[in-house]
Amino acid sequence: MSQPPKSDRDAQFDRELRFHIDKLIEEKMAAGVPPDEARRQAVLEFGGKAQLTEELRDVYQVRIVESAMRNLRSALRFIRKSPSFSATVIVTLALGIGANTAVFSAIDAILLRPMPFPNGDQLMQLAQYNPKAKSSEPHVAPVRVEDWNRMNSTFQGMTGYFTQDVSETSGDIPEKLTQGLVAPRFFSVWGIPPALGRGFVLDDYLAGRNVVVLSDRLWRRRFAANPNAIGRTLRVEGFTFSIVGVMPASFLFPDRTVDFWSPVLLNPQINQFREATWYTVIGRLKPGVTLAQARADLATVQSQLGKAYPKTDAALAVRIEPLKQLTVGGVGRSLWILFGAVSVLLLIACTNIAALLLARTADRQREIAIRYSLGAARLSIVAQLLTEVLVLALAGSAVALALAGGASTAFRALAKDLPRVDEIVLNGRLLAYTVICAVLTTLLCGLYPALRATRRNLAGSLAQGSRTQVSGRNPVQWLLVGVQVALAVTLLIGAGLLLRSFQALGRVSPGFDADHVLTFRISANWGETGNLNRMQQRVDRELDTLRHVPGVEAAATSLALPGLLWGLPGEFRIVEGAADPNRKIIAMPRLVSAGYFETMRIPVLAGAACSVDRSGGVVVNRRFADVYFAGRTFLGNHLATVPANPYSPPAEIRGIVADAREEGLQREPEPTVYTCYSAPVPSPAIVVRTHGEPMAIAETIRRKIHELEPARSVYDVSPLEEHLHDALGEHRMRTILLTFFALTAVSLACVGLYGTLSYVVSLRRREVGLRLAIGALPGQIVNSFLWEGLRASLLGCAAGLALAALFTRLLSGMLYGVTALDAATFCAVALLMLLTGIVSALVPAAKAARVEPMQVLREE
Amino acid sequence: MPPEKSDLLQGTLDMLILKIVALGPVHGYGISQRIRQISKDVLQVQQGSLYPALHRLEKRGWLKAEWGESDNGREAKFYGLSPKGRKQLAEEESNWQRLAGAVSEILRARSTEAES
Repeated sequence: MSQPPKSDRDAQFDRELRFHIDKLIEEKMAAGVPPDEARRQAVLEFGGKAQLTEELRDVYQVRIVESAMRNLRSALRFIRKSPSFSATVIVTLALGIGANTAVFSAIDAILLRPMPFPNGDQLMQLAQYNPKAKSSEPHVAPVRVEDWNRMNSTFQGMTGYFTQDVSETSGDIPEKLTQGLVAPRFFSVWGIPPALGRGFVLDDYLAGRNVVVLSDRLWRRRFAANPNAIGRTLRVEGFTFSIVGVMPASFLFPDRTVDFWSPVLLNPQINQFREATWYTVIGRLKPGVTLAQARADLATVQSQLGKAYPKTDAALAVRIEPLKQLTVGGVGRSLWILFGAVSVLLLIACTNIAALLLARTADRQREIAIRYSLGAARLSIVAQLLTEVLVLALAGSAVALALAGGASTAFRALAKDLPRVDEIVLNGRLLAYTVICAVLTTLLCGLYPALRATRRNLAGSLAQGSRTQVSGRNPVQWLLVGVQVALAVTLLIGAGLLLRSFQALGRVSPGFDADHVLTFRISANWGETGNLNRMQQRVDRELDTLRHVPGVEAAATSLALPGLLWGLPGEFRIVEGAADPNRKIIAMPRLVSAGYFETMRIPVLAGAACSVDRSGGVVVNRRFADVYFAGRTFLGNHLATVPANPYSPPAEIRGIVADAREEGLQREPEPTVYTCYSAPVPSPAIVVRTHGEPMAIAETIRRKIHELEPARSVYDVSPLEEHLHDALGEHRMRTILLTFFALTAVSLACVGLYGTLSYVVSLRRREVGLRLAIGALPGQIVNSFLWEGLRASLLGCAAGLALAALFTRLLSGMLYGVTALDAATFCAVALLMLLTGIVSALVPAAKAARVEPMQVLREE
Repeated sequence: MPPEKSDLLQGTLDMLILKIVALGPVHGYGISQRIRQISKDVLQVQQGSLYPALHRLEKRGWLKAEWGESDNGREAKFYGLSPKGRKQLAEEESNWQRLAGAVSEILRARSTEAES
């Protein structure tokens, strides 16, 4: 039955009423009244037609605003009348929605929003790789980037960059700055122009001008945000650079550590060198071009290059990935798991409130019955009840939003290496999300209690005047308690497994001794690679100085810090022939100086361990020996890289060392080849074993290096322990947060159990009084209520264990040292839940036994 | 929807309308005429109450309305009873009977008490 439109309806009212008046006139005229008089009488008798039409309109009009305001007023009155109930609901929802919004803020900033560049989704990272080799260098030669940029048809532009740490010497002491050396088109590909001054023009590249664009950070620190900084200079590695521009603070890439950018000033010969691998390449897709089209396009381009330069380009292919995906990496899974956890938490909060609302239904049945008898429609009563919940939910959301506002701080504290963590901010999207949460929770926890409260027979029975009825069983309430317990148990098991993994990681023996090891770097620039011998002499001289600093036990360099994931496995070949010629030899390549194993306390099992530098020997770990030599003696054999590389000729295997977890504490040691080479890069990581507290010696080291090399700076100084700690940041974050959410869930479930049992006890005071009066022992009363509460938590526990068994597989890959069905965790969680369940049921049960029989019976 | 007990007058008018309409489709004027005739002029329904009540009952789905031709050939809105309205009428009738019965019982009890 569709309603006619408004104007149509008015016309119908008019027709209907006019018909009535006409009939009245006919009636009068039939009685002999003259027509004019008949009409006058009829109109008089009929009364105000306009007013009647208005009343008819009212019948059809739902006065939304008016009734909403009325509902709101009554909701506020209700909240004032029951402050403790309202406070409970607000706090519960603030926790539930707050945790949810906080995790969502991270998901939104890290995973959902595009990169903070104009049309950020067009930005791609390009890399080269050799499909046949296991290892390959993803960085690209400058000349190849120019080729790609010229020959492709799917990108607006491509650019490349690399960074290096340099000493800036215009101040009193050299300061380490990070320089980004960039190819042409750099700022236009990112799509962000300098906030001040200009970017680089082609002439800067062609004329080889020493110009720089500052980062906002450096501009504020060194020039106090003075616009006159344009035209002033920096003194970098002995060259004077004039400042031509300043980037806005929002420009955080590449590498938020970069202090300034300058055009690549390489001599043309190196620029034409196709084997060079130092550019990280970024490209901006043309609008509407898909990733697949871009990949196909670049594959064609590279195959043309392969024909033109068979020696250097034939084996290469191009890899293109969205920049966002590379930036965000694997953090998504942790975040989604946390989001699942907080959604469960919110569900528990909703269930909790639903149970509270159901309990209150009893108190409100009279009120509802009265409203019914006054002619209210069920819908309007439901709307009123929901308005009450909505007001509470919105209040909870406001608190939640404040909590979520602090979330970015928490995320930064828990995992400072989280990608895009700076972008987590409170914004309109979060506000909208919280409001949506509030509305959804209102429906979720308010709808069923409201529908139940307004059931006709219930209201009807009350309208007939029956007073406090004893509802003997409350199956729905107990079901809700069971659901809460089940969900809390599931979360707690997830948290328990992560906690045990974390503990196991803490107990793991890395195979090296990170205690009392200080790490740092000494600034240098890539230009020094022009004379590799001199560079190595410089690094060895620095190491020599360090070894003579009082308090230093040993010192060494390493391309990468031990215990942190780094690099890719490489392929090797045993020159003398492998035990199994068909088996590829894959191992992690590491480059370390003499003294490394001594510094890290990695035992040398056989032979010598990089005792003499520059002799080109290698050392392998035990696992390498076990896997690829299987008991054969092999010291003196030679290892060569595959494919052959002019920089690392075949080298003699000089020794075997024990296995160490060089690639991360959670990773089993892999076959590893240590090449003894102290200066593979201008600024290798330096590890120093100290007698005392590592940081205590940092200043002495800085001074000694300054005496040796006044133009260089010492930077990134921190104990190795700290790096290892930070490396577990994501793991720590998800463990701490999940544990926090799980404990909150358990508390909520206990509150739910407590509240429901208290309510049941209050309903049955009369029955209890009666039982006590006829001789029941208080102990029996306590037991019966305790059992009622425990039955729900037992069933909930069982369901929770089953749920957990289904869902803990989501955590696979995040667990270490425990299985997803770890019996100890499951048992401990069940026990913990039951114990807290007993404690929270004990109070209301004991209260029941203290009922004064006479008093209760007199009340009735 | 529960019968609106507190508002006797309104509830009664609704019941009377349902009863008249149950006799056959009829327009608003006809309803007011019939109530007057059947009650022998004891009950007179004002148009100001009749039409809002008709439209309310229609909106609740107890009446269904249709435009049709009246006896003198003019177009009029005819009201008929829906199945839902029929159920409602039965309920209200039995409620009324019970109430009326109870009231008259009480009245009788008083008179016998007064006599004794």
